[in-house]
Amino acid sequence: MFLALKEIKKEKLRSGLVIGMIILIGYLIFILTSLALGLARENTAAINSWNINKVALNDNANVDMRQSLVTKKQARQLTENEAYLGETSVVAKNAGNKKISAVFVGLEDNQFIAQNLKISQGHKVNGPNQLVVDDSLKDKGFKLNSTLYLNGSKTPYKIVGFTKNAKLNIAPVFYGQLDSWKTLRGVGTQSTAPVASAIVSKNAKYNNNQTSVQTYTKQQIINKLPGYTAQNNTFVMMIAFLMVISLVIIAVFLYILTMQKLPNYAVLRAQGIPGKVLVGATISQSFLLVVSGVIAAGLLTALTAVIMPVTVPMSFDVPILVFAGIGLLVMGLLGSLVSLKSVLNVDPVKVIGG
Amino acid sequence: MSIIEIKDVDHFYGTGSARFHALHAINFAADAGTLNVISGPSGSGKSTFLAIMGGVLTPTSGMVTINDKRYDQMGQKQRDALRLDEIGFVLQSYKLLPYLTVADQFKFVEKVRPEGNVSQVENKEILETLGISSLLNKYPGELSGGQQQRVAIARALYTDPAIILADEPTAALDSSRVTEVGTLLKNLALKYNKAVIVVTHDLRLTDFADHLYEIEDGRLTQKS
Repeated sequence: MFLALKEIKKEKLRSGLVIGMIILIGYLIFILTSLALGLARENTAAINSWNINKVALNDNANVDMRQSLVTKKQARQLTENEAYLGETSVVAKNAGNKKISAVFVGLEDNQFIAQNLKISQGHKVNGPNQLVVDDSLKDKGFKLNSTLYLNGSKTPYKIVGFTKNAKLNIAPVFYGQLDSWKTLRGVGTQSTAPVASAIVSKNAKYNNNQTSVQTYTKQQIINKLPGYTAQNNTFVMMIAFLMVISLVIIAVFLYILTMQKLPNYAVLRAQGIPGKVLVGATISQSFLLVVSGVIAAGLLTALTAVIMPVTVPMSFDVPILVFAGIGLLVMGLLGSLVSLKSVLNVDPVKVIGG
Repeated sequence: MSIIEIKDVDHFYGTGSARFHALHAINFAADAGTLNVISGPSGSGKSTFLAIMGGVLTPTSGMVTINDKRYDQMGQKQRDALRLDEIGFVLQSYKLLPYLTVADQFKFVEKVRPEGNVSQVENKEILETLGISSLLNKYPGELSGGQQQRVAIARALYTDPAIILADEPTAALDSSRVTEVGTLLKNLALKYNKAVIVVTHDLRLTDFADHLYEIEDGRLTQKS
């Protein structure tokens, strides 16, 4: 550590360049991770807020709640752990003709999802044609008691409340009554008509064995959200490639720095300085450079989090960013291993008679 | 009693038709408090001999003893430890770590070898003797060649070794500086009771030697 600290102190420009490069890579990794997390959360925030474990859908729906229709017979008798959920895409228009794409989620007022819905402003849905909508709509000019028209119908819907984390597939969610869903979906109200898109359950062991109904885990439903898996895989690949690129760049820089010091190391070996001291100096130098770079990148990311508009779908999750930082540190240490062979094989004979 | 003793050392480089006999049946010994100068032209085997004396090269055959310890039979770690404890190198080039100040050069040794080094008082005296006590906060790049060399000598003395091995210490120096370095090495040998061994092609240093050797075509002969 002593040699590493002294060298960094003396060679400020050289060390600064390496740290600067690690800052840029670290910052890019942190921002991409935050963006990936933000988008992932906006895809799944509503599902996660429902606190469910299992979802039963029509098996022809291709694991898509919006395409699914379940009849009362298929739903069977529900326990307090189960709830009906109707989902459909809507286009809402307000009095000022402002249009917005959203997901309508119909719920039974007395079942657990509607009961557990956390209201940040206003009240829960307690009558027909009422809506509780995502908080983000406030930024788009929607207020309590605003009137909306869904899918071009003449029926006015009134916003009676706002709730947080009501996003599904990045679109805002409108919570309303299940009867409103039936109307919007056009499924009718006769006894044989579908009663919901899905039966959702808090019970991890719930299994609907009815004909043409398939039961899925929450994660299976999330993974089949349109674009969700492809988007996540894209981010994971980008971050993984950045990690590998950082490994190569750090390895190359440290290798060059180490090569320049080999004559000095040869003298130290001739003087009897053990090889492990030189190995320790190389690894310490890598550690100090990468840690400095990652900390600076973290600070830059924190600053970005402060100034980033709320409309940008980014989520700065500290434990996950720390994990990414540790990943970068591991890559840096792996990069320093490339130089170790040269350090261990340094030949003190070469500096004698030189 | 001799601090270092070399008996019947032969060394070969290469194999087969490329095999080269670099040193022929070398016998050598050096006592504490003496300056031993080994001179010879380029290619005579000086560097090979120095590398063997310094324990960084194992002779093909023969015996190397330092303070009664058979150096040639030791493993790598034991050799490193013995070099650190018993030998101070003053090398011709790359003498000092460029990113350590003069004071840090000693601190680094202190960290690797916390015990057995000269005391701070003794080190101060060595630095004053060498005329470099005002350079403690300077980096090697801020020193002249002569100053760097004297810092390298102080660094070599810091571990209080029995032997100082100097490789071409007067390379590229004018006559007045050669006299200065020769006198310095002779005085250091006497004052600190070290066996100082200088390997050089510079015949101007021979005037200061207690024992003078000549090496040519890998054969060592004592001249005085």
